[in-house]
Amino acid sequence: MFLTAEFSDAPSVGAALRALKAGGFDAAQMDVFSTEPVELPEGLLERPSHMSLAAVAGAATLGILAILFVRYTQYDYPLVTGGMPLFSWWATGVIFYEFTMFGAIFTTFATFLVESGLLKRRRAIPDPVLVAGRIQVRVCCDAGRAATATECLQRAGALNMVES
Amino acid sequence: METTVEMRGDGLRSALWRPLNGLSRAYLLALAVAFLVGAWGLGCWGYQIVRGIGVAGIRRPTMWGFYLVNFVFWIGISHAGTLISAILRLTDAGWRKPVTRAAEAITVFALMIGAAFPIIHLGRPLVFFWLFPYPNSRLLWPNFRSPLLWDVTAISTYLTGSVIYLYLPLIPDLAELAQHATGWRLRLYRLLSIGWTGSDRQWHSLERAMKMMAGTILAVAVSVHTVVAWDFAMAVAPMWHSTIYGPYFVAGAIFSGIAALVVAMSVIRKVLHLENYLQPVHFENLGKLLLLMSLLWVYFTVSEHLTTWYGNSPAEMRVFGERVRGRFAPYFWFMVLCNFVLPFVLLSIRRLRSVATITIAGVAVLIGMWIERFLIILPTLSRPHLPAAAGFYSPTWVEISITASTFAAMVMFYLIFCKLFPIIAVWEYKHVSHG
Amino acid sequence: MEHRWGMAIDLDRCTGCEACVAACHAENNLPLSDPDQAEKGRAFHWIRVDRYYEGEFPDVRVKFMPVLCQHCEEAPCEPVCPVYATYHNPEGLNVQVYNRCVGTRYCGNNCPYSVRFFNWFEPEWPQPLELQHNPDVAVRPGGVMEKCTFCIQRIQRVKRDAKAESRAVVDGEVQPACVQSCPAEAMTFGDLNDPESKVSRLAASGRATRLLEDLGAKPKVFYLQRAK
Repeated sequence: MFLTAEFSDAPSVGAALRALKAGGFDAAQMDVFSTEPVELPEGLLERPSHMSLAAVAGAATLGILAILFVRYTQYDYPLVTGGMPLFSWWATGVIFYEFTMFGAIFTTFATFLVESGLLKRRRAIPDPVLVAGRIQVRVCCDAGRAATATECLQRAGALNMVES
Repeated sequence: METTVEMRGDGLRSALWRPLNGLSRAYLLALAVAFLVGAWGLGCWGYQIVRGIGVAGIRRPTMWGFYLVNFVFWIGISHAGTLISAILRLTDAGWRKPVTRAAEAITVFALMIGAAFPIIHLGRPLVFFWLFPYPNSRLLWPNFRSPLLWDVTAISTYLTGSVIYLYLPLIPDLAELAQHATGWRLRLYRLLSIGWTGSDRQWHSLERAMKMMAGTILAVAVSVHTVVAWDFAMAVAPMWHSTIYGPYFVAGAIFSGIAALVVAMSVIRKVLHLENYLQPVHFENLGKLLLLMSLLWVYFTVSEHLTTWYGNSPAEMRVFGERVRGRFAPYFWFMVLCNFVLPFVLLSIRRLRSVATITIAGVAVLIGMWIERFLIILPTLSRPHLPAAAGFYSPTWVEISITASTFAAMVMFYLIFCKLFPIIAVWEYKHVSHG
Repeated sequence: MEHRWGMAIDLDRCTGCEACVAACHAENNLPLSDPDQAEKGRAFHWIRVDRYYEGEFPDVRVKFMPVLCQHCEEAPCEPVCPVYATYHNPEGLNVQVYNRCVGTRYCGNNCPYSVRFFNWFEPEWPQPLELQHNPDVAVRPGGVMEKCTFCIQRIQRVKRDAKAESRAVVDGEVQPACVQSCPAEAMTFGDLNDPESKVSRLAASGRATRLLEDLGAKPKVFYLQRAK
């Protein structure tokens, strides 16, 4: 079951999350919904991300593919221009660079879509409706722990509570 | 067609969402004029395709004319978004927040317009796709050694990146709008907001992505205009074959980009009644940046011309003479007035700095930078290595029409954008006002 | 051994009569421009005669210099074409492939000799001149670049004939239209790879110079003039 509580500012949300963690809930069970990013203390709600790694990997992959492609095409139908070599590292530099950037852009966007969970069509339950100026904290817990969760949230200053 | 966005009590949202509703007479008139001028330009292009590129004024030896000037100019304008969003984001300058979306929109539309020109200027535009690598019956791949292919790659990358960079911060706003909209707007916003619900996971991911994109798009933008500059610098033509072109163009692009942004913001502020959100401090800061870029522009221009003049190489001096003392001299000195003298006076004297004067400086810079692109391309082509082949260019009504229509197209795209999406990022604005 | 075609033009013999220009027009199906277009700088002359005047009247001296595509070994026009419409063939010719040309005109801008010409419109000939076309040479469409080809059709014909007769190409057998038509016999064409050919000997003579040599494009047209 899901418990959703409404708060009016970031510090009380921080307090609620700390209380929930102390109460034995972990970060994967907690979600914070807001119309703007909430400033929480470092490490309170860790969401590990592979975006940097993915971007570098994507960049390197596309960059190398670009060089291989250019090399293949220049030798596939070899035409001498200006007395210059068929394949030259310097002349390919720009293409390599641009494709590296393209790879980074593409993987960053793709990782964003995946890590944010936006691509998931089916959700366990609809996410709460956003209210400007309010921040909502939602805890996923089984019926037995509901009381603990409710207490943690209320102590931190929850304004409304909804069960679903 | 009944579609509205419900007004909230909240001052910020109502101010930023009000422009989305309704179509005032002034708006429709502006849109109609922009559309008509744009359509006329499109018609001219069609005429050019049917009749032949000869309807333009280009000739031997000036085989590139207005279309290339426009190409470089619009790609330059597209650096507006990159500077504001990326550089200022990376330096964490909070004042930039209300300005980012307007800047990013300029980038995307300017890029789209700029990227059309390599197709417009072709002798056989209907086979422009031969520049793309795909298996074909000609048994031929494109020549990746050509700077024009580097152009294609760079601009495609930049366009993709800019569209994503515009779209990412738009998602939270679209999600919020979807909650308050009706009719086709509701469907549009819901579709585009791809299920955004404002969870912290999504925010984390979004902010991470935006930070990464800021760095990447900055790297791409520097390379894009450098590559465009290398279209000229890689040629052996006198006064084109100069190492300064890469940095010169990038600096000039950022310069013209800020000017375009200042002008766009000024108009938006007036027309959409956003005086509370686009405040004089924003114009002050942009004005200072504009002044800085103006000084940088002067530095590059002096460097290029002084070294050419001192070096006294015959081929280059013919071009230099044409530019500074000859046929192009009136344009050259007018450009110096627009790009340096006027902005310097208006922007460095504190008492003269106001939203109005900063906007005037911006307009002057836009004119000056267009002339600068013209002066980069034409004098060199008019005076090639062999003096016997010299010749002078004059534009025709076709080129002038198409040039004018690109400005109209920019206005039209912008008008439509402002009607569909809030021009200031609501979630970012709130964020900065709280610290 | 592969041929390497080159040309020598003796400026001391050239009278500036422009027979070469007319012959090139006839041989290569060059489009005619009307006076309007010519005034706009759109006339076509694959070979043109530049005139350089020295001195004051009455001691004026004129130098006539026929300028045509120099078929540079390291041509600046070649690497910049995005679709390989111009490239260097194994016989040293700078080849223009009309079918591939998209019309970016970068090559035209990059040629330091300004020898490239662009078809701004579909070419037209006033009747009955279209009946005069050389069937060995393509008629170019609008929107493509063209320039002197060293009369590649004549080179091909001579090579084919020589092969059919199982012999080598004789020096002086290939004569582009301009070389053939020069009344002062100022122009020589031949194989630079053959040290005995007339063009090789002229190129090695003390009078041989090249145009814009310092640009390093390695042109293959040698201009012979009295050393000053």
